[in-house]
Amino acid sequence: MPDSNTLLEVRDLTKFFDTPKGKLHAVDGVSFKLERGKTLGIVGESGCGKSTTGRTILKLIEPTSGQIIFNGEDITNYSVRHMRRFRTQMQMIFQDPFSSLDPRQSIMQLISEPIREHKICTTSAEIAKRTLSLMDTVGLARRFLNSYPHELDGGRRQRIGIARALAVNPQLIVCDEPVSALDVSIQAQILNLLRQLQRDIGLTYVFITHDLSVVRYFSDDVAVMYLGQMVEKASSDNLFANPVHPYTKALLSAIPLPIVGKDKPVRKLITGEVTSPVNLPDRCRFFSRCDMCLEKCSSACNPTLAEIEPKHFVACHLIDKEKKDVQ
Amino acid sequence: MEKVLEVKDLVVRYETDDGIVHAINGLSFSIDKERTLGLVGETGAGKTTAALSILNLVPDPPGVIAGGSIILDGKDVLSMGEKELERMRGNDVAMIFQDPMTALNPVIPVGQQIAESLEIHEGLSREEAMEKAKQMLEQVGISASRAYDYPHQLSGGMKQRVVIAIALACQPSLLIADEPTTALDVTIQAQVLSLMKGLIDNSHMSMLLITHDLGVVAEVCDDVAVMYAGRIVEIGSADDIFNHTLHPYTEGLFDSLPNLKARGEDLIPIKGLMPDPMHLPQGCSFHPRCPYATEACKTREPELKKAEGSHYVACIRYNESSFCLRRDKDAR
Amino acid sequence: MSKTRKTIILEGEEIEIYKGRSMAQETWRRLKRNKGAMIGIIFLVALMLATTVASFVYDYDKDIIAMSKDRFMPPSKDHILGTDNMGRDIFARVLYGAKYSLVISLGSTAIGLAVGLFLGALAGYYGGLIDNIVMRVTDIFYSIPYIMIAVVVVSMLGTSTMNLLLAMALGTFSNFARIGRASVMTVRDQEFIEAGRAIGLPTWKTIVKHVLPNCLSPIIVQTTLKVGSNIISASSLSFLGVGVTPPTPEWGAMLSDGRSYIRSSGWMCLFPGLAIMFTVLALNLLGDGLRDAMDPKLKR
Repeated sequence: MPDSNTLLEVRDLTKFFDTPKGKLHAVDGVSFKLERGKTLGIVGESGCGKSTTGRTILKLIEPTSGQIIFNGEDITNYSVRHMRRFRTQMQMIFQDPFSSLDPRQSIMQLISEPIREHKICTTSAEIAKRTLSLMDTVGLARRFLNSYPHELDGGRRQRIGIARALAVNPQLIVCDEPVSALDVSIQAQILNLLRQLQRDIGLTYVFITHDLSVVRYFSDDVAVMYLGQMVEKASSDNLFANPVHPYTKALLSAIPLPIVGKDKPVRKLITGEVTSPVNLPDRCRFFSRCDMCLEKCSSACNPTLAEIEPKHFVACHLIDKEKKDVQ
Repeated sequence: MEKVLEVKDLVVRYETDDGIVHAINGLSFSIDKERTLGLVGETGAGKTTAALSILNLVPDPPGVIAGGSIILDGKDVLSMGEKELERMRGNDVAMIFQDPMTALNPVIPVGQQIAESLEIHEGLSREEAMEKAKQMLEQVGISASRAYDYPHQLSGGMKQRVVIAIALACQPSLLIADEPTTALDVTIQAQVLSLMKGLIDNSHMSMLLITHDLGVVAEVCDDVAVMYAGRIVEIGSADDIFNHTLHPYTEGLFDSLPNLKARGEDLIPIKGLMPDPMHLPQGCSFHPRCPYATEACKTREPELKKAEGSHYVACIRYNESSFCLRRDKDAR
Repeated sequence: MSKTRKTIILEGEEIEIYKGRSMAQETWRRLKRNKGAMIGIIFLVALMLATTVASFVYDYDKDIIAMSKDRFMPPSKDHILGTDNMGRDIFARVLYGAKYSLVISLGSTAIGLAVGLFLGALAGYYGGLIDNIVMRVTDIFYSIPYIMIAVVVVSMLGTSTMNLLLAMALGTFSNFARIGRASVMTVRDQEFIEAGRAIGLPTWKTIVKHVLPNCLSPIIVQTTLKVGSNIISASSLSFLGVGVTPPTPEWGAMLSDGRSYIRSSGWMCLFPGLAIMFTVLALNLLGDGLRDAMDPKLKR
């Protein structure tokens, strides 16, 4: 079903890494559709494969299997050379503003690099003009034109990263933890900037983070990942108001809320830690930490995503039971 | 109430080649027995320097403790000799650092690392110490059979539990935790925080928790001190700070947090950046970023003044009868 | 942070900007504060100037190698560093000889650097089989003492300045291959390399623009120190007789000449020895200064 409004579609995306201990399931059968101008938040703890998913979408990492369809075009098997042209349409913002900028280049060089590379502008006057206007767009004072990353603070560096991504007029930006290295007050500045850019130029974001409060604020849809798989996906409001998967519930309950006094909700903690993603058995991956396990969870195969209500998908054996209870 | 720690007018500078970094400029606070104080602030506020000063561990050079006093259990830390300091660290005060990966020695089994500090500080024999170490591991939720594991065999959360066990082994009267859960995932962070809280309550210790995360503070702390540019701008009970905010900076921190906001609404960040600690602004160091600043704020340095009970605030506009923060206006 | 402002005109518009300081400028600024490194630089520059002047002022056949009857003269007004067993002026020979020591050590280091860095960068960037082959070859050279390599090369090709230079380059390159590999591997894994790929930079551009410039610091430091140690190696080889042949006024060869007369005419050994010592010391001071100046950890 071709849908002109869908910018990115990912079908059954899989990435395995071979390790000495066995097959590491970094991304294991992830599927989603993302509409133009919308934001999909991907949340999960470290090692759940959210960053690998983001990088595989951009083909910075080659997928093991699955399909990536961008703007109706299947880019899964495009060569590195072919992808290079595509880089103008899909970009990335990195987590660490300290290591994602070459320390030996000035701000001018850094921002103009993608402009030069893709020949967006050709004369040096045009390049300078575009660099300056990008700096204005991301709120970076023009006086830093000749400064170097080590002379700037984290927030300003992250603005450089955003300007570099914007330089080629992309449609899609994958943001990999863009604010987690920043202080709260700076974090708010950057989040506001990203949101304003979306409003102004209609950008589409894949927003990867471990911080649920940020994702709630920022995303239209949220997908929760656990050990390489999506366990729940829903609209942001729905997911936070009505989480179904036990892991989502546990994650939500674990956020330390800045509330003191009687309004503070009681927390429910889960025990145990994330198991190793190497050589996973075919059963629910959350089994060992889940406190709502059914008998069949230990033996039955890995649950797949099922739509429990419009646009709300959950992968859990519990929902079968709930359905039966309703009947 | 009995005070475990009292810091008064502490001034710490780093004298570097490029100039003098004013890290701490007249810091005063105290921690009562069996209370937990959360020290909140952003990068560069001087939180970690404050913690290092309490242990008299500020790297010298370039660090210079230029004034003030730090009274721990009735003794002045800053006038102690090296021998006394060594006895104090670990026995009376223990510290937990942010990164559990580097806090443990990679070539010594974790049980032995706990036992070692028991041998040194408590004078236990090797066997007794190992026995106690295993008990400690059980207490922090790690099975005693893992006492012979090396740090790399444990996950990040478990390593931080081991670090906590080491810190608590000698039952210090004060525990300093510098961003103890920042490197951990949320579900693990929640586990570690509740573990720490339980242990502190059971052993009647006091804690100084340093963090940038107001959520963590709300979870664990009885009292809260908000730090900005090397000074306390507001201090009080958790209820005072969270529900009766008085300082514009504290308000700015709360407004920057996305989790309290409904979707779609813009965040209200604090404008501008943390001041360069080499060139702090005149008067109130927050005035260039403060939406309420007046002419007087540019020249007069505000003192920490009592507002109500245990609630203190350093803002010259607080005394104006008509002055009221945006939060309170909204509430009305 | 540098806050010196300057005004530039861009697009017919005047903008005031901060004069940024690149890493190289920052390094130079910190190096200037390091007294040892500055003494080293001044000494080396002075030595290079002196030896250049010396090669114009002195005539090789007449002043440097020609014998005279003023043998074993202690330092005096006519010969400020004295004369040797053939009546040659030691001052002239030490100054003139600086050229040989410097050329041999710089040349061998340069060849070793070029070969080693190329191989190391290859091994570090691609890894796998290439890495294995390159590093095993390097290991073999690493395990043979440089004197052995030099003796073999010189006995195969004959003694000459050029052969000595080649022999020492063979002993040097493995060092640079290792350092090159290690620093390329560190840089390769950094996020800005991936960021370069994300904006669509081809691999060769990534290597030239981003990988190599960021590997420079440890390599520059190592080069400086290696030039120093190669001066000693060259002198040692000449001293042993497998290096520069007499009567070339190489410092090691001069030491060797003076060896038999050390009791009666100590100055024959003393001054070439001091020349070696001070030059190597200057290079080491400079190398240490560079290491400190380039260390990002020392940044405030």
